[in-house]
Amino acid sequence: MVIASVAEGNGSGLGPPGPYPRAQLGHELDRRWLHYAFRSADGRLSLIANLSVLGASAASETDPQAMSILLVHDESGWASSQFNAAVDGVPWSAFRLPRPGPRLRIGAAGGPPSLDLDLVRTGRPCTSQCAPFAVNEHLRWQSEPGIVARGSLTGRAGVHREVTLMGYHERVRGRWAWPHLGGWVFGFANAPGEPGEPPPFAVVFTLIQPAVPHGAATASVMVWRRGRLLRHFPRRVLDVVVSGLLPRDRVVTSPPLAATLGTAPAAPVPARLVITATTATDRLVIDVASTTACRIVNPNELGRSGFSVHEVLGPGRITGTLAGSDVDFTAPAVVEFAGGADVD
Amino acid sequence: MSTEAAAQRVTGADVLLATVAELSGRAPAIVAAASAELGTVVLALHFGDGSTAQLVAARGHLVATEGAPHAPDVDVWFDARAMNLVFDLANRPVDEVLPGSLDVRGDRDDVLAVWRTLRLLAQRASGLRAVQETWRHYRRQDPDLWGRAAASPVSAPRHTDGLATPRATGWTALDFLDQRMPADPRDGLVDGTVTDHPRVLWDGRTSRGWWEAERVWDADLLTVMRRCRDRVADEMDRLIPDRRPKTSLYDLMRAYPARQGKGLRPTLTIAACAAFGGRPEDAVRVAAALELFHNGFLVHDDIADESTHRRGQPTLHERHGVGLAVNAGDGLNLLAIDGVLSNLETLGLARTLGLIHEILHMCRETVEGQAIELEWIRRQFIPAPDSSYYRMSTKKTGWYTCISPCRLGAIAAGETSPDRLDALNEAFRWIGIAFQIQDDALNLIGEEELYGKEPLGDLLEGKRTVMLIHLMRSATAEDRAWLVPLLRLSRPDRSQASAERILAAMHAYGSIEYALDVADRLAHRGIRRFEADLAFLPENEGKGVLRQIAHYVTTRAL
Repeated sequence: MVIASVAEGNGSGLGPPGPYPRAQLGHELDRRWLHYAFRSADGRLSLIANLSVLGASAASETDPQAMSILLVHDESGWASSQFNAAVDGVPWSAFRLPRPGPRLRIGAAGGPPSLDLDLVRTGRPCTSQCAPFAVNEHLRWQSEPGIVARGSLTGRAGVHREVTLMGYHERVRGRWAWPHLGGWVFGFANAPGEPGEPPPFAVVFTLIQPAVPHGAATASVMVWRRGRLLRHFPRRVLDVVVSGLLPRDRVVTSPPLAATLGTAPAAPVPARLVITATTATDRLVIDVASTTACRIVNPNELGRSGFSVHEVLGPGRITGTLAGSDVDFTAPAVVEFAGGADVD
Repeated sequence: MSTEAAAQRVTGADVLLATVAELSGRAPAIVAAASAELGTVVLALHFGDGSTAQLVAARGHLVATEGAPHAPDVDVWFDARAMNLVFDLANRPVDEVLPGSLDVRGDRDDVLAVWRTLRLLAQRASGLRAVQETWRHYRRQDPDLWGRAAASPVSAPRHTDGLATPRATGWTALDFLDQRMPADPRDGLVDGTVTDHPRVLWDGRTSRGWWEAERVWDADLLTVMRRCRDRVADEMDRLIPDRRPKTSLYDLMRAYPARQGKGLRPTLTIAACAAFGGRPEDAVRVAAALELFHNGFLVHDDIADESTHRRGQPTLHERHGVGLAVNAGDGLNLLAIDGVLSNLETLGLARTLGLIHEILHMCRETVEGQAIELEWIRRQFIPAPDSSYYRMSTKKTGWYTCISPCRLGAIAAGETSPDRLDALNEAFRWIGIAFQIQDDALNLIGEEELYGKEPLGDLLEGKRTVMLIHLMRSATAEDRAWLVPLLRLSRPDRSQASAERILAAMHAYGSIEYALDVADRLAHRGIRRFEADLAFLPENEGKGVLRQIAHYVTTRAL
């Protein structure tokens, strides 16, 4: 395997020019990534992959830095690559133009985990959203739930298995320093449906809480019905509340190297997340209970404390009324609790 | 540089000393592990600013002193750059060793031991806020070493209400989580030591990061103990009624609890509850009841021992007379029973009965131990073997200081198996005795502010301690000839000068050093039993705190 040029795309750039330009990442805080998260219908198998690129420092005159990490969770627990997971070929993305092949092949540089999947979209993405903060810093993202993945997966115990998973894909581009970004709460759930069909409902929620300026939070809850975006609840109509703490022995640190580098502890992960959204007659409650988490410790360019992204798994129950119809489903969910970087 | 700035300048030696001191208080288990790595190696550290320090391991803890040792096993020279990089965990180890900036001399094995020691300390120290502040201050003295500080944008003013959309639906996540669909009380029990109410991260207007909540970590024992102590103090305050007669009863009952201690017992109770899978909040009431019992005992104990000071202030009977003091002590014991019974509402009948049974046992052990010691003093008897002291100490203080708090916490968590409860006994029995011996030693060699009792109070009372037992066992016939009559005097007849004479004899015969060695040995025996007997407990926050307390005995300041 070779590490793909996610940065430049070889003619398979990420989307049309504009909010996601096919431009070089010329600043050391310029960032771009593709995010993949999938869960099996019974919640026993989960995978999360992040392929990111950090702009090169102008002074260093080096290429952008590509970092890829793959996490797999199964009965034997979490398996994680280092930040140098090998990506074979150009990874599939719904946002590439022209449309690439369906393949997504990622594996740790040595041993498990690894995956070889064919991805198919069943719906449409949301419109691009942007969170501005600090001075000239921003994070822009575009989400698409209802992605079906079929293929093979190797988890912690080295067991190779054929899988069918339902998941989520997003692209992100922006420029920010981790301490300025503050943190975020993000997640999704796809309602179980018929094979090959778009999920009856899917929800994606995002809360970005910049440290500077403190009041510049960006939040949204989006609901898809059968692959089409049905509702976008803006930040003013949302409530986000957490309670309890996930026991620390259920939180695994990744990449494995982080455990040997004296990584400072992170704040404990909430045990439960509830989001309510309301507009006019529409009501929605998202209730996710954390069962396990993998903490990805990202290097922080401005300080010693890393930026921790906790990939949290658990069942999510979504209830409410939308456009006069009742919504009530329980599905495997993924939530990210991210933050914790400081300026030293 | 101004004179003031020069005075505040922190040297490398200052940083090292402050770091070791913080870790000794806040992460005793880590210090114990680091001292085991260092072994007998004497380490000399030379800093780029000209300061020097020595680091050695002694009795399970680390001793850092300013100035270079005469004949170190390992010498380390840092320049300012290398010193800064050592603490910057974002660096790869190889990047910390810049050519010409760091030099290490010593035998290979010793150097590796030093490296392991410092690595262990750095790993845990980096998570402690107090240590981070010390290092941040040190690093900011020479900001050029770290590149130019990034300019932080000024925070914009918060949005005013006028810009926000009115939200009058009443459909809030907080209401949903708190009232309509509350969390299962059995979920996520082992981390926090206080009630974990839902936290609002976003209400449409204001934002608070999920990571911003103040939490209790096993990494910072002092913070855990302070929080447990304060939480239990609140509960005690609630249990003592706000009614008359105030000045002759209820104010007196509040007097001792208001003189806050270290918070050892509340922490043990709450941590044991969490360690056994219970909700920490469930242990708060019984911890408060235990504190009320303890304070009741103290009032009576001070009268029996004729003590004049408790926690830095006059004892209750000194200030209000024996009659009112005895009555207040009785009242505290009654309120303690009320506190235990109040668990009926929250823990149910079975667990409350278990708590009552345990407390009765604890009270019986305590009064038996007190009887043994008072009888020794009355008969002017000093036992010859240390084992007699161990037995008396276990009964008098071991049960209510260490063993019972743990057992009560476990019972509050719903543990009913006698075998599992008994697994706590041996470990905390030895830890309790070691703690008591250290406490006795503190009375003789510690600062009054640190200890809170009158200096040499134990010698004036004639308290039977390991030091006194060792002295009488070791003294020559000539010294015994003046010691025995002196010890036979009643307290009012015993002068400060005579107490100081006995103390001088203890120094001469090495009795204090002997006692500290005994405490160290017993503490390690307790720690071994802790790991062996409590292996059935999963590694969680509660067990982590218990482990820190087990090591705290060996690393606390003497």
